[in-house]
Amino acid sequence: MNPVLLWFHQLGSPPVFDRFAARWVPVGFVLGLLTMAIGLYGALFVVPADYQQGDSFRILYIHVPAAWMSLFVYGLMAFYAVIALVWHIKLCEVLAMACAPIGALFTAVTLATGSIWGKPMWGTWWDWDPRLTSELVLLFLYLGVIGLNAAIEDRRAAARAAGFLAIVGVVLLPVIRYSVTWWNSLHQGATIKLFGESTMDASMTWPLWVMVLATKFWFVGSLLQRARADNLEREAGKDWARAAAGVER
Amino acid sequence: MSYREYVIGAYAVFAAFLAWDFLVPRLRLARARRNIVLRAKREAARKNGNPA
Amino acid sequence: MSAPSLLAAARAQALRDLRLVWRRRGDAAQPLLFALMVVALFPLALGADPQQLARIAPGVLWVAVLLASLLTLDTLYRSDVEDGSLEQMLLAPVPLAWLLAVRVGVHWFTASLPLVVVTPLLAELLFLPADLLPVLMASLLLGTPLLSLMGAVVAALTVGIRRSGMLLALLALPLFLPVLVFGAGSVMAAAQGLPWIGALLLLGAGLALALVLAPLAAAAAIRIALN
Repeated sequence: MNPVLLWFHQLGSPPVFDRFAARWVPVGFVLGLLTMAIGLYGALFVVPADYQQGDSFRILYIHVPAAWMSLFVYGLMAFYAVIALVWHIKLCEVLAMACAPIGALFTAVTLATGSIWGKPMWGTWWDWDPRLTSELVLLFLYLGVIGLNAAIEDRRAAARAAGFLAIVGVVLLPVIRYSVTWWNSLHQGATIKLFGESTMDASMTWPLWVMVLATKFWFVGSLLQRARADNLEREAGKDWARAAAGVER
Repeated sequence: MSYREYVIGAYAVFAAFLAWDFLVPRLRLARARRNIVLRAKREAARKNGNPA
Repeated sequence: MSAPSLLAAARAQALRDLRLVWRRRGDAAQPLLFALMVVALFPLALGADPQQLARIAPGVLWVAVLLASLLTLDTLYRSDVEDGSLEQMLLAPVPLAWLLAVRVGVHWFTASLPLVVVTPLLAELLFLPADLLPVLMASLLLGTPLLSLMGAVVAALTVGIRRSGMLLALLALPLFLPVLVFGAGSVMAAAQGLPWIGALLLLGAGLALALVLAPLAAAAAIRIALN
């Protein structure tokens, strides 16, 4: 059998996954923190202030990576959900449900940093601009998946139902985005907000890419950690779990 | 206008959310382990006949 | 004994559902009263200035219909889950998606269509300009079936959960958003003299897609929820 495929199959076994996660979680977090340190140093001290927005545009270096992560994680969650529903792979159920809180967190960061950035820019903490409004709806979609997963007692059925909801959401996400953009153009005219889309010189974008990479590393660490906890909870009665938890024989 | 407070605020919010993301799964994992150990103890006590 | 034809099964399902609604026909008036009350809330909260009310009328009417439809979603499967008929539908020789399509159709006909019919009266309460009424009615006729179809999918996911009313509303609302935006937006566009047919066409396209996909998705969701 193809070694990669074999590795995937083995990873589906709960004790193997527990060991795998235990090994790679610290790697994810440490790499994430290191790259974040580099990126944040660049964002705060290396890059010169913007001539229009002063120093407040430095918020971009966390706002944009968080926004991209919020969308990326939702797509990944739906991807895991599809595999879980079609091939009934338990590990993918666990991974899909572990994605949801992380994605919700990044969405919340996007909204909070967007709001904080908007205050000096627009003078208000909130403005119904299409991007922030779409992020708000995305937060509702995440919370819906989390809520549905929590509402059903049987863990496997809950993950499957919430995964299905995630898939429905991912299909409708472009529609929602488009409808919000259309709504904005209808009610507020074609005012285009320069919100991180202003053309930036290449020398100013490198911290952005470093932060994007950093959030990916962090996500891997967090995902594996949450999946490991969920995995252990589901398999609480099994012998391997008892051995892993340190039950004296 | 000083934008420093806003920048600090935004980065602080980011750090707070990351700290939350780091701590919550760790606590959950610890709780899961503790529950497994407690459950094993309860079942062992049940098997050996509760001291009555 | 061979399986019944699709049409015969649809007729049987529709008759059964209609009969069940008829036995509780008092309940069928509740969404109408709810919508009326929601509409009444706005002048009470904001003041009865006709110009102000006329400006917000399309949005308020759409929100009232949407919320009333949302509240009726819970009844879509509730009684069938409780008495086990939903499992019978699962085991039927006819595709579950087909039976669900008929079920949603009857539900729209008995729960949402009355709302749409009552809308001109509600529009009068909010001083909606008469020339906007056709656009509003068209948007509601296209939008409410869409809400019923998408709501049916989400309701199917929560079918096994007790007291799931609030959760169901929270899950369904983000998905209802585009329908509200295009539905109310078409009327607002007409109010401003902007082209409004595009939004209605989008609703129509969405409805065409939902007519095909939503029953299939709802059937899959029911299987997931009941297993």
